[in-house]
Amino acid sequence: MSYDRMEGTDMSSSQEAAIRLRFSRADGSLGRLGTEKLVERALAFSAASSGAAILFVIAFVFMKAYPLLARDGLAWLARADWDGAVMEAWWNPDFWRFGALPLLVGTFATTTGALMVAVPLGVGCAIILSEVAPPGLGRILATAVRLLSGVPSVIFGLVGLTVVVPFVQKTFITEELGLRYVDVPLDGQSLLAGSLVLAFMIIPFVVAVSADAMRSVPESYRFGGLALGMTKWRTIAKLVIPPALPGIVAGIVLATARGIGEAIAMAMVAGGLANIPHLDRGFVAFLEPVRTLASAIVENGEGMSVLQVESALFSLGATLLVVSVVTSILARAAFSRLRTKTGLATERAI
Amino acid sequence: MARLSFAHVRSRFWMAACWVSAAVVLAVCAGIVLAMAARGIGALEPSFFTTDPQPSFEESLAGGIRAPLAGSVILAVSGILAVFLPSLGAAIYLAEYMDEQKLGTRAIRLGLEVLAGVPSVVFGFWGLAVFSQPIFAFLSDSAGGDATSAFGRSFLVGALVMAVHILPFVVKVMEEAIRAVPRALREAGYALGLTKWRMIKRVVLPSAAPGIVTAIVLGLGLIVGDTAIVWLTVGGTMTMSGADAWWLPHNWLPVLKGTGSTLTTFIFYSSPAGEGNAPGKAYGAAFVLLALVVALNAFVAWIGRQRSIKAQ
Amino acid sequence: MNDVAEVVLPAVPTAGTASVDVACEPWAVQAAGVSSWYGSNQVLKDVDICIPQRRITALIGPSGCGKSTFLRCVNRMNDLIRGFRMQGTVSVHGEDINGPQVDVTLLRRTVGMVFQHPNPFPMSVYDNIALAVREHKPSINRDELDGIVEQSLKDAHLWDEVKDRLSGSALGLSGGQQQRLCIARALAVKPEVLMLDEPCASLDPIATGKIEELLLQLRERYTIIIVTHNLAQARRISDEMAFFLMGEMLEQGPTQQVLAAPQREETAAYLDGSYG
Repeated sequence: MSYDRMEGTDMSSSQEAAIRLRFSRADGSLGRLGTEKLVERALAFSAASSGAAILFVIAFVFMKAYPLLARDGLAWLARADWDGAVMEAWWNPDFWRFGALPLLVGTFATTTGALMVAVPLGVGCAIILSEVAPPGLGRILATAVRLLSGVPSVIFGLVGLTVVVPFVQKTFITEELGLRYVDVPLDGQSLLAGSLVLAFMIIPFVVAVSADAMRSVPESYRFGGLALGMTKWRTIAKLVIPPALPGIVAGIVLATARGIGEAIAMAMVAGGLANIPHLDRGFVAFLEPVRTLASAIVENGEGMSVLQVESALFSLGATLLVVSVVTSILARAAFSRLRTKTGLATERAI
Repeated sequence: MARLSFAHVRSRFWMAACWVSAAVVLAVCAGIVLAMAARGIGALEPSFFTTDPQPSFEESLAGGIRAPLAGSVILAVSGILAVFLPSLGAAIYLAEYMDEQKLGTRAIRLGLEVLAGVPSVVFGFWGLAVFSQPIFAFLSDSAGGDATSAFGRSFLVGALVMAVHILPFVVKVMEEAIRAVPRALREAGYALGLTKWRMIKRVVLPSAAPGIVTAIVLGLGLIVGDTAIVWLTVGGTMTMSGADAWWLPHNWLPVLKGTGSTLTTFIFYSSPAGEGNAPGKAYGAAFVLLALVVALNAFVAWIGRQRSIKAQ
Repeated sequence: MNDVAEVVLPAVPTAGTASVDVACEPWAVQAAGVSSWYGSNQVLKDVDICIPQRRITALIGPSGCGKSTFLRCVNRMNDLIRGFRMQGTVSVHGEDINGPQVDVTLLRRTVGMVFQHPNPFPMSVYDNIALAVREHKPSINRDELDGIVEQSLKDAHLWDEVKDRLSGSALGLSGGQQQRLCIARALAVKPEVLMLDEPCASLDPIATGKIEELLLQLRERYTIIIVTHNLAQARRISDEMAFFLMGEMLEQGPTQQVLAAPQREETAAYLDGSYG
């Protein structure tokens, strides 16, 4: 090749003028960039309107809750009369003394009861799913868990009402018991039935998220443990569960959030009374009806035409909003501690 | 037989406990399906699908699920239509354009996360209150014809509330699908001289299509399975209040502006918890609903399998 | 919305007219004083290089030496990477690629690129090629498009193998076929420079041989820049060679000359196999 290597670098101005433009736009037009900007704006707009929808939901709920909050502060959360207050508000336009404590207690009790069942069962099931089950059984189990998470809550309610509630009534409630405690109806619709039904509604969250977290623990941990002569169980308990713990906690937090928010199934099986279970009655407390925050919104929904009831129901909604914000922050914190790789199911659950 | 050490006994005990919990979960799942089948299959005659619910104390006269089944379909389709474009736009923006450093975009992300955790009953009640405002009267038939308030309950209202309710979830799944498109494909698109939007439109979206369809199907499942929002915002009428012959095109608008029921509210209403008191019919409807949900799940799983076969 | 965009587009220059200018432009690509950074990490240090037209230029050097980064500077693919920064000038046929009026999409059509791993789009063989063509010429009719698809596939020596399965998924092709499809796709938009970033890295020897043979034929019509780890490959196909080490371009010259009598010790050491 006979060309001078550096010839091209300093071009004379006449050569420069002779360049045929290949990729510059001498006319200064934007070409497609105009459309690009337009599209980006449109997409940003749809993202921003999603954001606006959120703000609108939150602002509206608090706005409607405001009349009660302004008059009563947070005192309505600590007072213990709900059903009577709703009745009274129907005919007394100046009545604002609502008491949501029974609903808080009902929500807390059903969710705690459900967690007491769902956490051990769910974690055990997750251990089988991620550590023990052969592929075939694992697929069946995973399908069952997915199916359980897809079953609409009204079906849980229906099965609960026609299977669990009669079971509770037949097994635990005797005529003698009914005569002794006449102040609350003991008909099977109860805290116990509610907790049992809720437990199986929230189990899929515990199983899916925990199993995912356990699967993301490196194989080498397990080999290491087994090579040291540890039993299968010790390997799982000492080497697999600890690194997966943040994931398991996140699963439990998500399950809790789901439990707190469940309305329809709880309205169907937990009983139609805003009642604080009487702990002094021992086990009978579990057989008493309760009502949760979420199910109160469904069951007292017809009271929306009354200003005070509407405001009270929106105050319940605001409480649920605050709780769900707190739980999503907690779940987020738990996930950020889960440094290992997590799969799709985990991400999708939050 | 060799004596087992304490460690082995303990290991066996706990492993057995794990097996028992797995068995309980399986049994409950099977139990629900079997309960639906055992009590619901009896109701599944052809007339169950071709007659509307009738108010009756006699279960045999309580009719079928034609209107609620149609209601589920109408609500699901209109809800998805309402949510599709905004969610796809938001997902593309979040996955492709968003500057993670900017405060506004971080706020949107946090907001979507919060919205995803809000129970559906809150949305239902919110929607009922919002769409009862007089300016939204065009969405629902006003009960008494007065202009001071809207009825606030109709398929249109329900669909809009559903759209807001499922938006964060749909956006999340779509965004995941878009982000999963390999970098190599994007680079190939850019290297051919495509602008960013053309690259997204021609390369990313076609590649992410199965994931976007998955998001839609999962969204359909959420709408079909929800009760609280329907109960509060679509109204408690068992049949279409807009027009009985909902399938005739000229009746579509009245039907959408009218109230009705879906499978879920039909079940709620016909169960001992509601007033219908026709548990056999409720189980029949529950069986149909469960079959629908299973079919949607199976479809999602099928899409996933197709995708992994293609990837090989 | 799309149609509006297409109407605004001016006529796009095609490779056919390029031959007129060849005489006054011996260099297809020139870089002067190019330094670049990913964040605070400097990957190119004051690189000067001249790539001759209608030749195959091989960029060689150990991995991480900046060869690929240099390629990605030429068609501005690095713009897509957050934190990337570049100094110095790169010009293609004398036209500054960072000039204020540059339309990057037109630049990338002029300078085509093929990647290390075959990356066909998950669609049919036909659509893989038609996509880019339609994008740049939306009003194209079916016959014309068929013609371009066929010609591109023939140019990439792939036509005979895929002519009966144009509507089948491109992902069903073998690795070597996929890579030739990617070359065909790059050729379909009529570039003037074709850059290949280790195109044979994931291919077997037979597929590699087919691609090398193809490149030798394409060199009559295109300026080819190829990044390769494979010295034997560089020896077989390149006319010109540039040696990169630690972000610097140490030596450039005709391939035979560099291989026979390297000017720098580092080049000699690399050719002896002292670096990875």
